[in-house]
Amino acid sequence: MIEVSDLNIRFGRGAAAIHAVRDASFSVAEGESYGIVGESGSGKSTILRALAGLIDAWTGTMTIDGHDLGLRRSKAARKLLQMVFQDPYGSLHPRRTVNDTLREPLSIHGFDAVDERIVRALTEVGLGREFRFRFPHQLSGGQRQRIAIARALILEPRVVLLDEPTSALDVSVQAEILNLLVRLRQVHGLTYLMVSHDLAVVGHLCSRIAVMNRGAIIEETSDEAMRTGAMRHAYTKQLWVASKGYDADALSAMVEFE
Amino acid sequence: MSEKPLIEVEDLWVRFRTPKGVVEAVRGIDFTLGRERLGIVGESGSGKSQTGRALLRLTSGNGSISAKRMEFDGIDLLNADKKTLYGIRGNRISMIMQDPKYSLNPVMTVGSQIAEAYRIHATASASKARDKAMNMLDAVRIREPEKVYKLYPHQVSGGMGQRIMIAMMLIPNPQVLIADEPTSALDVTVQMQVLALLDDMVRKNGMGLILVSHDLNLVASFCDQVLVMYGGQIMERLAAKDLHKAQHPYTRGLLNCLPRVDGSHEALPVLERDPAWLEQQGGRS
Amino acid sequence: MVMQDAKASPAKGLRGWLLSDSPANAFQARAQNAYVGWLAFRGNPIAMAGLFIVAGLLVVAALAPVLTGGEGLAQNLGNRLKPPSAEHWFGTDELGRDIYQRIIWGSRVTLYIVFLVSIIVMPIGLLVGTIAGYMGGWVDTVLMRITDIFLAFPRLILALAFVSALGPGLENAVIAIAVTTWSPYARLARAEALTVRKSEYILAAQIQGASRWRIVTGHVVPMCLSSIIVRLTLDMAGIILTAAGLGFLGLGAQPPLPEWGVMIATGRAFLLDQWWISTIPGFAILIVSMGFNLLGDGLRDVLDPRSGSEG
Repeated sequence: MIEVSDLNIRFGRGAAAIHAVRDASFSVAEGESYGIVGESGSGKSTILRALAGLIDAWTGTMTIDGHDLGLRRSKAARKLLQMVFQDPYGSLHPRRTVNDTLREPLSIHGFDAVDERIVRALTEVGLGREFRFRFPHQLSGGQRQRIAIARALILEPRVVLLDEPTSALDVSVQAEILNLLVRLRQVHGLTYLMVSHDLAVVGHLCSRIAVMNRGAIIEETSDEAMRTGAMRHAYTKQLWVASKGYDADALSAMVEFE
Repeated sequence: MSEKPLIEVEDLWVRFRTPKGVVEAVRGIDFTLGRERLGIVGESGSGKSQTGRALLRLTSGNGSISAKRMEFDGIDLLNADKKTLYGIRGNRISMIMQDPKYSLNPVMTVGSQIAEAYRIHATASASKARDKAMNMLDAVRIREPEKVYKLYPHQVSGGMGQRIMIAMMLIPNPQVLIADEPTSALDVTVQMQVLALLDDMVRKNGMGLILVSHDLNLVASFCDQVLVMYGGQIMERLAAKDLHKAQHPYTRGLLNCLPRVDGSHEALPVLERDPAWLEQQGGRS
Repeated sequence: MVMQDAKASPAKGLRGWLLSDSPANAFQARAQNAYVGWLAFRGNPIAMAGLFIVAGLLVVAALAPVLTGGEGLAQNLGNRLKPPSAEHWFGTDELGRDIYQRIIWGSRVTLYIVFLVSIIVMPIGLLVGTIAGYMGGWVDTVLMRITDIFLAFPRLILALAFVSALGPGLENAVIAIAVTTWSPYARLARAEALTVRKSEYILAAQIQGASRWRIVTGHVVPMCLSSIIVRLTLDMAGIILTAAGLGFLGLGAQPPLPEWGVMIATGRAFLLDQWWISTIPGFAILIVSMGFNLLGDGLRDVLDPRSGSEG
């Protein structure tokens, strides 16, 4: 479903240029849930944004469902792929009601039965009709994120890109949203590409996981390996150890990776 | 241990006046802090941050603090006059916050900010303050302190910014440090390093540390004692190493709904909030 | 956090409809938003004072025929330069016209100026600024250089030039003022647009395939609108004064139109002995300008709240 090969993204020019993504290649099968983990500056979010068509300058190839993605995206290409952002407080327009936010993609693409679709989208993410005309400031973080998910799904995409969808949420709300994401994927046969810095979240939601450091994918591991700690690369192992909590002894063994 | 606790709080309430009525952020909690690492864990709105701020009377304008007792080393914090309070803040009780991007002055070099922190509470010449600042940069394990001294906050990474914040707050050698989500904005390996630094300084100087966080795992692995807060009250208090033996349904619920690296793919149990938890009177366990 | 007293028995009737947690349709949602804004506005006495004055202006203008006997155009040379009295509350001017009537009818002229300038300046400033800010690149450069050109001229002088070219008259004066006033609004809108365009809701709209025009008009403009409105109300005083200035110079409203600036101008010759001819229109301008200023201040507090009261 998703094929990325030799993706290179640079920001800036000349001496100050940052090579944000270096020769990234991976593929995601249809219906699979693929994760990308890394620390800040690793380039994981940049890859997602490039796939979403938000980045102007990249080299390499990106293919979704057999269609090559170019710099300009057609409307049809937009329908295939949607995204859920990290910050529930920033991803909804503050002056638009939930109804406006959900209606817009439908009117951009000329869908019919707009009202039905909106109500159905709300129900699917577990929100009742009473939320339909609220403004974002009248919603909690978890509710906003559900709206963001509803918005992503209302165009019936095949692929959903998830950019740290639960990092800004409370732990109990995170559990609900993760459960929702798992259920929606099963029901609609979606393909997920999820980016996170949280190994536990990625290990829970994804079956195959790419580990990035400073722009390069250094290892592709699996949820099984996460469970037991059977990673190949020392960086991944270090990340795994660090995610388990504070451990003074383990810390003394940590090194800087270039 | 029979040592007198550094901080003693009894029946602390923090209330805010809003156009919609009175909001009670902290509802009658008790706790003490000795020379140990105390973690206060809770979700957003639990009152954990407000508790930390109330100790230094840093609650924002429309808030009011009341307590039967709020004492630090025998000094009544609740009724202390401004002079006493200024002598304590940043000097005997320090506080570090979540994001160094916002807590460091963007138009001063980081070195001069550390030096300033020193000169507020100690009469010292500019060059002595500078030396002290350099020493602190070294103590927080920043390589090339002379180079870093001259940098501005936007030129340093998150982890380094937090170390600078720690340097600033520990330079007067306080007895208590309140850390409000000090590592939430950092990468996980950097988090570990900053915590190790805090650990080191707490041990070396016999400081008491209050660590406020939403991260249960972190607090459990780093602190000695843990207070779990919800709805402005303390739901449970226990030793960090006994966290997995927690009794209160809220704590159990929180622990269960965390995804685990070594967990299964099954649906995470969702936390069912029992309204009865809010009715619990006071934070006495 | 635990809310006390926030949910006493739910309010009934209109107030209940306006405060309910779950609006049932778009209209109710927007009405609720407006109501909450109104409540915040109402709590600010300075803003209410400004609103009172501006509302007063509107009422006076609307009721002008009711409040006066005539339109202040009737000359009576035998009755000229009379001081305020029971018969002529504000006295008479050099042509024997009743000043009270002219002040009341002049409020319509003032409103006309305010209205015309607003409907020209706001759309132009908003569109130029948001397009420049959102698109960036050469579009931004070109639009901003055009803005700079208009910004470089002192307002009154450029207005003079325009009016000389277009000929004297109230409409031309208004157009001249508008043309020289829109530039700062474009700048303001551009600054807001630059911040807004990095927001994730804009990215989400792009990913959905929204055209750039849809994003600018539907997403960016609403976010820039409030600061433009505030700025406009604060500028209103200056606009009224510029119109008065043009009128003073004989380039704006032409006699016998009772524009307050013209009244000050013609009263100039009689300032020492018959002070009321210039001073009273001067007071009128002062009060209305202040009203708009206060209103603008209040609006800014409501529309652009920086101080939250989150606990």
